[in-house]
Amino acid sequence: MIIDSYTEWLSPIHKIVDNAVRPLYWLTNIPSRIQEWGEISGISRADLEQDNLRLKQESLIHHGQLQRMSELAAENLRLRQLLNATELLMDSVLVTEVIGVSPSPQSHTVTINRGRDDGVYVGQPLLDAEGLMGQIIKVYGGHSVALLITDNTHALPVQVLRNGVRSIVEGTSDYNRMTLKFVSPTADMVAGDQLVSSGLGGRFPAGYPVGTIASISQKSGAIFVDVEVDPSAELDKSRYLLLVFTSGGDRDRGMQ
Amino acid sequence: MKPVNLNGPMVVSLLLAAIFQLLPASGDWILWKPNVLLMVSIGWILYVPNQYGVGFAATVGLLADTLFRMALGHYVLIFGLCGAAAYILSRWLTYFSLFHRMVLVLALVVFAELVQALLFSIWDTPVTLSHLPALAITSGLLWPLIDILIARINRYQR
Repeated sequence: MIIDSYTEWLSPIHKIVDNAVRPLYWLTNIPSRIQEWGEISGISRADLEQDNLRLKQESLIHHGQLQRMSELAAENLRLRQLLNATELLMDSVLVTEVIGVSPSPQSHTVTINRGRDDGVYVGQPLLDAEGLMGQIIKVYGGHSVALLITDNTHALPVQVLRNGVRSIVEGTSDYNRMTLKFVSPTADMVAGDQLVSSGLGGRFPAGYPVGTIASISQKSGAIFVDVEVDPSAELDKSRYLLLVFTSGGDRDRGMQ
Repeated sequence: MKPVNLNGPMVVSLLLAAIFQLLPASGDWILWKPNVLLMVSIGWILYVPNQYGVGFAATVGLLADTLFRMALGHYVLIFGLCGAAAYILSRWLTYFSLFHRMVLVLALVVFAELVQALLFSIWDTPVTLSHLPALAITSGLLWPLIDILIARINRYQR
């Protein structure tokens, strides 16, 4: 246990065993695949037509928003150039599917169907449609393991979207709750504030939604306030995720 | 008397337990999910102690380490300790009622979680035991099914 915790000597064994138990993960996905298939095959033509119409309308709205976003991005770039700031790079993404979930309530990890063959690297950020999910901690040939932001060993630098106040959000082994560490009672934070990744530490790109402040309380005599955060991402529900390919050293370091 | 080889049913039962263990559970359900691998290995030790003992429990613990993605040895220790307790008590427990065995398994599940919490605290990993009562209840409720199945397999094979 000590050798495995402090050294990498046993990682070849982990790799072999992980590949060996992968079919078990595939088997455990069968019920959700059947459910998915049932949902798709049970949809009537009229419903499909209605869905199609709704998606077209949504697509139109998103196109409009995207045009505005590109205009804002261009303006942001111009302002950054004026300030001699580093240019923000657009992140490229890769769609991936969850093929396994850690059975332990203490360890929040998921297995995804992309690995070294797809260019996945250790430390790579993982998103779902709603927000930041976690980061890759182990990479194998055709699959990888990601640590979720709600794992009690995970911490992530964030900032309040409203005013830029920085803090660190930690997992609590609860899929629906995280906590902010070392928040002063005078900090400008209120329930409902949205938290985004601050980009500090260089592991996660800045600006991705992390969660919303659910409650702020202070125990009598405590120096810091207790801030509870609702994660933005649907950590225990999302099936299709996005792997973010950021530029810079993390990838190079992970690929070694 | 020549011992009956029960390795086939044992492997199948462990595979089914592993699959059940890996089935995704959302929300608070994950806290209620019993450690079926531990319970199945305890079942085999209680019913066939001459074939399956502490070494068997430790081997299943190694499988659990890989499934739960823990450091190798974490569940080996937990399963080994629970297996040893089950092995020592096996000669009396087969004569006890199902309810008594259920109480023992409930106690072993709580013991396993406490050992796990101790190991986590040694590694300085924050740990919560709030899920322990729920886990003990579901484990106790599931035990009769595992107990009856292993008892029947054991009787059928002989």
